[in-house]
Amino acid sequence: MPIVEPSLVEVQRTEQLELDGIDVSGDWNTFLRSRVHTDLDLKVLEWVRSQPQGETISRCWQCGTCTAGCCMHTDFGLEEFNPRYFIYLAQIGYEAELRKYAETIWRCVSCNKCVERCPKGVKVEEVVHSIGSYLEVTGMAKESPADRFDRAYTENLLRRGVLDEAALFQTYERLEGRKTPGRELFRLGLSMLLSGRLHTGPFAHRTRGWGKMRPVLTRLMTEDLRRRRETARGPPPGSGP
Amino acid sequence: MNVSRGRPDEVPAYYPGCSLDGLGKAYEVSCQWVLRRLELSMDRIVDYNCCGATEVKNLSQDVSVVLPARNLALARGMGRHQVVAACNGCVYSLTRANDAVSEEATRGRINEHLSAGGSPAYDGEASVQHVLEFIHNRAGPDRVRARVRRPLAGLTVAPYYGCLYSRPKRYTGVGLTPGTDDPEHPAFLDALLRACGATVLSDYSAKTICCGGGHALSDLDVSVAFSASVMNEAKRAGADLVATICPLGQINIENNLDRIRQTYGPEAILPVAYFTQLMAVALGASLREARLKDNFSRPDLFLKGKGFP
Repeated sequence: MPIVEPSLVEVQRTEQLELDGIDVSGDWNTFLRSRVHTDLDLKVLEWVRSQPQGETISRCWQCGTCTAGCCMHTDFGLEEFNPRYFIYLAQIGYEAELRKYAETIWRCVSCNKCVERCPKGVKVEEVVHSIGSYLEVTGMAKESPADRFDRAYTENLLRRGVLDEAALFQTYERLEGRKTPGRELFRLGLSMLLSGRLHTGPFAHRTRGWGKMRPVLTRLMTEDLRRRRETARGPPPGSGP
Repeated sequence: MNVSRGRPDEVPAYYPGCSLDGLGKAYEVSCQWVLRRLELSMDRIVDYNCCGATEVKNLSQDVSVVLPARNLALARGMGRHQVVAACNGCVYSLTRANDAVSEEATRGRINEHLSAGGSPAYDGEASVQHVLEFIHNRAGPDRVRARVRRPLAGLTVAPYYGCLYSRPKRYTGVGLTPGTDDPEHPAFLDALLRACGATVLSDYSAKTICCGGGHALSDLDVSVAFSASVMNEAKRAGADLVATICPLGQINIENNLDRIRQTYGPEAILPVAYFTQLMAVALGASLREARLKDNFSRPDLFLKGKGFP
């Protein structure tokens, strides 16, 4: 077979080399340099598997049904959005390659076609989100717009029990540093307020008895986020002292 | 896993969710109108809370289960085994919670959180269905056909189901729960609209695509592209109108109207309406009663032009 990558080849010329009485002199050491990855770390797999959302990752047998139907991959045409490959990289622990997708992986729109179709019962969408979370909590990915939205959404609903959509819109746009076109929005908001479609500020809906639920959920949320961060940065879960 | 429970004629508990009490008011009002005309009823869950949609689960599993479980527990407190929701996102998170609490250890932990928050415990015994499935299964195309006063004759409608209506089956229980629609080729909306006299584009290719709803604000390119293809595909197939079954889809598409117009030209815009608005009109409601003026894509003007009062 011809060698197509000369840069990978080290040639050593040996004159008069005899091994066990056999002359083996000539071009010797014509070997490819090792291309075996040694920087694999199964921590990402262990971490994703330890999350309730990611525990089905081990069932994946890499058929690619998820990617074939993925609306980000096919309909939107973002080819590098490849859930099968994300799962593969996590399964073999190839963090260096995975972090190349830090700007991509958050773009899953949660349409759940992959979960519907997976023949092995992998909750692909939740697994992909878990992989994304791993990149985020370990600092390999910056907090994405979707992460910011999830946070704004959750904080908003925990306040009163139900969403205040207008407030969520404003908070989120502020987080993204975008200016809301004030007058237009005000006119639209007013007409929606008057037709009973917008309940914000003093008109916001609230769930009766939420005062008791809010601290429970806020504490749960804080603990979960802390646990995520600690387990992702520390030694892999279950590795023992 | 969502398994059917309760008597088949049980009056189900109705979970409105934040959307139907807010931006999706037209959906709520027209839905009630249709149910009245079809002699169906649902009992509203009072003091419900937001279900957490698809956002909360990315941050905390337990919180994302406690939120919907509290609503299901309230429904069980009303003595109901069946819960109806009108929003695909709500159906998703309610059925997802059912799947989570089917595991005993999880149920125990979730119930501890619920009781710490002053909510009744949830026994995992409520099955969840979409309001479209409810209308289809209880009244069915036959009763609809018998009650139609102004057939939608001459109207070609693209039935847009969006995602999370009956998928993933792992959560919605397709195959285990009678009366669930097909996740790949849903047909209930087609049947109801056809019963209303409309021409329905059953092979509409964007039937179950995502509208980009969850990322409506955080990933604008995607949400505009998807909502545009809901319209473009409908237009290509020759539709006059798009019928939606989810407030997220409806609001996301209409919120992107200006951007779609800029990219694809004004002729790309089609009127978009909740399926209950179209059904209400067929069942005798005026355009005002069906609150069609609420929709930014103004299906009221289009229908007025077609002679509907």
